[in-house]
Amino acid sequence: MANTNYFIERTIQAFLTLICVFALTFALLRLMPGGPMAYLQARLSQSNQDMSQEQINNMVELYSSVHPSKPIHIAFFDYTTSLLTGDFGRSIWYNQDVIDILAKAMPWTIFVSAVSLFGTFTIGITLGAVMAYGEGSRFDIGSSTVAIIVTSVPFYVVAVLLLWILGYNTGIFPTGGRVNSSIDPGMNLAFIGSVLYHGALPISALVIAGFGARALSMRGNSIQILGNDYLRVARLRGLSERRIALRYVGRNAILPMYTSIMIAIGSLFGGSIILEEIFLYPGLGYYVFQSLGARDYPLLMGGFLFITIATILGIYIADLTYGLIDPRAGGDDREAF
Amino acid sequence: MTVKPSDRETSTDGGAVTGDRSTSPFHTTADVEETRAERLKGTLDIYLLAPLRILWHDKRALFGLATVLFFVLLGTIGPYLVEVPRSSDGPNALAPFVNWEFPLGTDGLGKGIGATLVHATPAMLKMILAGAIFSSGLGAVWGIISGYKGGRLDRFMMSIADVVMTIPGLPLIVVLSAVIEPRDPFVVGILLSVNAWAGFSRVLRSQVLAIRQESYVEAARTMGLPVWTIMVKVVAPNVMPFVMVNFVTGARRVIISSVGLYFLGILPFTTLNWGVMMNLAYDAGAMNNPKYAHWFLAPMILIVLMSLGLILLGQGMDRIFNPRIRAKHTKKVDDSDAAEPEEGGGTGPTTTVEGH
Amino acid sequence: MNAVDHSTTDLNSSTDTILEIRNASVTFDMDRGQSRVLDNVNMDIEREEILGVVGESGSGKSMFASALLDAVVDPGVLTGEITYYPERGQPIDLLDLSPKELKKVRWEEISMVFQGAMSSWNPTLSIKGHFEETLDAHNANFSEGMDRARELLADLYMDPERVLNSYPHELSGGMKQRALIALSMVLEPQVLVMDEPTAALDLLMQRSILKLLREVQEKYEVAMVFITHDLPLVAELAERIAVMYAFEFVEVSTIDDIIRNAAHPYTRALLNATPNLDVHVDEMRPIEGSSPDPVHTPEGCSYHPRCPLADDECVSEDPGYHAVTAGHDVACFHWEQSREAIPYTLPFQDDSTEANQ
Repeated sequence: MANTNYFIERTIQAFLTLICVFALTFALLRLMPGGPMAYLQARLSQSNQDMSQEQINNMVELYSSVHPSKPIHIAFFDYTTSLLTGDFGRSIWYNQDVIDILAKAMPWTIFVSAVSLFGTFTIGITLGAVMAYGEGSRFDIGSSTVAIIVTSVPFYVVAVLLLWILGYNTGIFPTGGRVNSSIDPGMNLAFIGSVLYHGALPISALVIAGFGARALSMRGNSIQILGNDYLRVARLRGLSERRIALRYVGRNAILPMYTSIMIAIGSLFGGSIILEEIFLYPGLGYYVFQSLGARDYPLLMGGFLFITIATILGIYIADLTYGLIDPRAGGDDREAF
Repeated sequence: MTVKPSDRETSTDGGAVTGDRSTSPFHTTADVEETRAERLKGTLDIYLLAPLRILWHDKRALFGLATVLFFVLLGTIGPYLVEVPRSSDGPNALAPFVNWEFPLGTDGLGKGIGATLVHATPAMLKMILAGAIFSSGLGAVWGIISGYKGGRLDRFMMSIADVVMTIPGLPLIVVLSAVIEPRDPFVVGILLSVNAWAGFSRVLRSQVLAIRQESYVEAARTMGLPVWTIMVKVVAPNVMPFVMVNFVTGARRVIISSVGLYFLGILPFTTLNWGVMMNLAYDAGAMNNPKYAHWFLAPMILIVLMSLGLILLGQGMDRIFNPRIRAKHTKKVDDSDAAEPEEGGGTGPTTTVEGH
Repeated sequence: MNAVDHSTTDLNSSTDTILEIRNASVTFDMDRGQSRVLDNVNMDIEREEILGVVGESGSGKSMFASALLDAVVDPGVLTGEITYYPERGQPIDLLDLSPKELKKVRWEEISMVFQGAMSSWNPTLSIKGHFEETLDAHNANFSEGMDRARELLADLYMDPERVLNSYPHELSGGMKQRALIALSMVLEPQVLVMDEPTAALDLLMQRSILKLLREVQEKYEVAMVFITHDLPLVAELAERIAVMYAFEFVEVSTIDDIIRNAAHPYTRALLNATPNLDVHVDEMRPIEGSSPDPVHTPEGCSYHPRCPLADDECVSEDPGYHAVTAGHDVACFHWEQSREAIPYTLPFQDDSTEANQ
């Protein structure tokens, strides 16, 4: 397979995206008139009134990794270098290194995202496949209707309703936090239980709002595949229904969804800004939200970069592994006229 | 040549469209000799009247259309019929369906909830309009040029689209709105669609690649028509259905993100919005205080209803415009089946129903 | 048409029937009535012969192919008798078999190549995977089976290792079709049914596949049923031709008889409609009218609405089969007049003599 070109192309694309995002955050920090630079300068000179302008500017660079007055290309080069060496600046509000705050928050967001992603796709794919096999049945029509209605509810509405009913009104689940702080962290049952207990509502919200769309795509893909001639040939060849369901229908219907699974990681991380604020769940999104209110630009940009880098990685991995699991991938669809 | 029982039964199927691509009302290309008025009439028939006739037989799509029309009327005529709500118009936290002066009750400040909902709608329609036009328009232009021109330009344009697509939308919007602090509804709408055009341009490009091979496009090329003329007059009309479906998808995205971001106070409260109402109700303690429950619920119900309407309308349009799915529908006798393959490689205008 | 049991009457005692079809019908229930897409068909397929089945689109020839494996798609209902005579052992009626027994007969005894090789392969499974899972499903000896697969692929002029390690999309249309033939032969079936196997291929590829099929047939001593709309094409391969019209056979004979002495007006019209370089375009005649509706097949002779010879008898009565010569049966009252009424020029280059007019 001529996959080397594909591999190189994807790698270049990932790097290109990374540089573009760096340029974007740099531009937002440095180039907006009356924007973050001016705000940081004003704020820092207020609390350090005896400092010279140059010292203030160095302070600004310490916090945001962007120097306000150096020539742009030098400032951008410095900015990129610091980012690539893991220096995302320093939070004004928490007065900690951005990378430390985010690195501690990241696992929680990954936990919620991964579990809900798994739940969403497991339920969606199973339901969609069952619906497709019984196409036109009462179960199919009923499930399709439910799936469409559930899909049309924005996830934050589901989140709010869950929190309202199961959190505030009945008190079954906690209304905030990610773990009971009195329990020692570690691989003990109490800690894991508490983590699951606190994560239950955010995860459920994502799964409830998300499984419908997956079920509908799985159903559509499966129906399309069930109509294919190769299925009929497979039956005549005497293959067992089990093999046909898994190797023929299942695999071929799930494959087109694979990339969307990886892309969903990006939208889950992004959606964490809303979700974690609703559930007061201190993950990546929660800190991004807090930084907004505090006008903590270094933390805001750092959070944005974290989420974006995670997404770029997710899509990059998806692109590369897709070539391994689908023999048709990597074909050139860019033929020119 | 297997004779299937339904081969000759197309007319009983839900979509009353018979025939193949060439006889379908959506694939007739305009005659060059038409007058402007005739062409307008033709366009109207192709893109409005014919779909409406088909919609009439598709109950779910009809429900979607009716819902969307309801919201359009709510935002255009509504504000003239309902007075602007003011604080202390009525008693605080009046329950709904009690006093018909305030059919949906009042909020914590005594404002009528129904009236507030109505007066929030115009700004939301502006956002939707701006956002959907922006994402569909830019996506269409980008996809058509990239797909039709091909070669290096295509590669370059698609690289840019890939970069834009990869950046997660919501954080980008949050960061941009933190720095720009948009106030005008039109600007908010565009901001909320800032990277949505890219994915659409990719879908459209693959369609253009297919259309480029069609004989009528080749004929236009052989006739020596300028590239721009071919793109505008030959290619664009043929991808119009995709653009329209994307318009609906885009509208839904704008409304869902706008309400979410206003609800959390990420966007500045310069216009009324259902999300602003949710925010105020939440801050007033709606979660703990049953008195305020209807204040919190009313905007949520509306957003769900509108989102459902847009999904159903989008899926209905998909069914009408997509010959592949239409063929599938004529094959499967049952007209009650639901959503269509969404990720089948971009052969259809895909109604994206992402959860976020 | 309730055909007389013609095939047994004129059976040459020296021939050896492998597949016997009696009163086979396929019906579909539809809103506007019952659709009969195979109508009381009788046919004997001999061991190691090549039978060509010719008919236009919608004549029921694909249904006939499916019926031979009892593989009519739902909701079609197949009735009648399809009897398979194994080399040793008792005859088997396919329609009496349990699903498990049927699974054994299919592909091991009677196998099939579908039209459109492109869509007969699972796009995400390698060619080798298709062979392996087939052997596996039939509990066949694995290494022997794969050796046979390699031999078959080589017999079909392909590089076995290359093909086996490919995915379907990496092969050309002709290669996919040939690999499909190999796949259908891997369990050493006695009968191979092919439904328009060359339809999607270009002319050169069609010719070369026909040549390969003949070689394979001789080497593996398999009976072949070759279904096509293209009479001249199958004439190069088949020994016997059965012409299908309106869901039943209207004429059955050896290839020479069909070409030189076609007796049914439809067969003659079919020969006349065949494009041919030697015949001036003015002499070519498309067949007037359209093929019949499976719900309302005409009373009497189903061809009468399109037949220039049709009279009242044809409209009211089913013609039944008439023996032209031994082994040449035709379902027409007026087969003796058809020669004068419908002249045709031989569409084959092998000799340019005019057929008797």
